[in-house]
Amino acid sequence: MMAIQYWRNKDRYYRLIGVSCTRCGRDFFPPVYRCRKCGSEELKDKEMPKEGKIVTFTRLYETLPGFETQAPLNLAIVELKNGVKVLGQVVDTPEELLKIGAHVRAVFRRIRVDGESGQILYGYKFVVEHVDARRETG
Amino acid sequence: MRVFVASVGLTKIGDHWNKSLVDLAVEAGRKALSSKIEPDYLIIGNMFSSLAASQEHLGALVADSLGLKGKPAFKVEAACASGATAFHTAYNLVKSGASESVLVIGVEKMRDLEPEYVSQALAMAESAEYTQFVGASFAALNGLLARLYMHETGTTRDELSSIPVIDHKNAVSAWHAQFRKEITPEVVSRSSIVADPLRLFDCAPVGDGAAAALVVSERLVSEASKFVEVLSSSVCTNNFSIYERDDMLSFSSTREAFEKAISTASVPKGKISFAEIHDAFSVTGAISLEAMGFSKKGFACKDAAEGKYSLNGELPINTFGGLKARGHPVGATGIYQIAEAYLQLTEQAGENQVKGARYGVTQNMGGIDTTTVVHVLGSAE
Ligand SMILES: [Zn+2]
Repeated sequence: MMAIQYWRNKDRYYRLIGVSCTRCGRDFFPPVYRCRKCGSEELKDKEMPKEGKIVTFTRLYETLPGFETQAPLNLAIVELKNGVKVLGQVVDTPEELLKIGAHVRAVFRRIRVDGESGQILYGYKFVVEHVDARRETG
Repeated sequence: MRVFVASVGLTKIGDHWNKSLVDLAVEAGRKALSSKIEPDYLIIGNMFSSLAASQEHLGALVADSLGLKGKPAFKVEAACASGATAFHTAYNLVKSGASESVLVIGVEKMRDLEPEYVSQALAMAESAEYTQFVGASFAALNGLLARLYMHETGTTRDELSSIPVIDHKNAVSAWHAQFRKEITPEVVSRSSIVADPLRLFDCAPVGDGAAAALVVSERLVSEASKFVEVLSSSVCTNNFSIYERDDMLSFSSTREAFEKAISTASVPKGKISFAEIHDAFSVTGAISLEAMGFSKKGFACKDAAEGKYSLNGELPINTFGGLKARGHPVGATGIYQIAEAYLQLTEQAGENQVKGARYGVTQNMGGIDTTTVVHVLGSAE
């Protein structure tokens, strides 16, 4: 990805800024140009909720260029609390907790280092909420 | 204006180390041009020559190479559906009367790329900013889809293998197929993991190939020795990424393109003799069969395991091996499907012949049902 393409999206990548329809209230991430529910083109930026649950997941062994050192990569489609589905990596999670229905939260992480420029790209990833850990911390 | 396919040309799919993108396109194109009919238009279906060969502008390049200098020529791209969308463009040119004969060539050179760059090239079918950015390849999206499909429908690992098993069986006697070897469900379930739960043998291979078809008008078709009629050509699109869809398992563009295509062709579903389906991954083949209504939701793999889709079954699919075993040189695949339907409907399919084939359906997808093209072809009356 070109540096400028990344820079343009940094708010979306850093804080999960999507859009919300000002007419019907439906949220979208990635942003859309036209509301898929009511057809309105009046959309404004909105930060997505950070909690959700795993709809489906995979472990990818043949990674894209730039992700080799992270292989295998856990990826999931997560349904956020507002119903929006987001694709992202799942990290810092023991394999046995990676399940359909598992509760996750979005975190800010390094995505990869761009091979050509050496630039470090950051963005959202997900971690599974550890039930035991939550109980311990009250 | 009625539209016909007057001839086709194929190259074998595989590792063509000593042939270039243009070599393959010319080889397939010349085979399709062996009839007396001169094309007045050239359309190329191709997905990523820019990445694989640092080459664009394929229309003029291939036209000049084939001795068609002066003719209109350009490339059509819709990811893995590039071949069928190129054919769709040719169909519409002839249908509208704008052209009398269009040569369509689908071509892809994949093996020149290192494996991770093949993944990169295929991932270009999906969002650069929200799919590729997070590290998800095209296989990863299909792995996510496969897990969801198995979870929702109760389809087992061995059942999922049933479509690749059919493909490999049919490819044994197909000269142009990349892999001509029968496999068992165990071979699939024990092959290396690509994107869990998908294994290597759930996924179409990487190969080079080109296929061509000469699309002609009613007026010129009498010049052809063997021909088939293109009864309909339908393209539909879906929300771009699977995670942007309310129901990720519905494949609405396959469903809509198929329903529109059989309705335009006036061919009832029960009269279809065979279907060439887009099983780039076992799971997309299964969901496609369900979206077209050949199997009930969640039953495609079970139906396949029980023989419904075998060459001698109720509805043979992928009669020369489909994407998994014939091969999937992406931008060429849609034309391979058309060429195979031509061979079936002109009774030139040899050991792979579907007895009494009258109507054939081809389904070619770009992305995961993001662009789907369905054609209905009929034997000459
Ligand atoms: Zn709205």
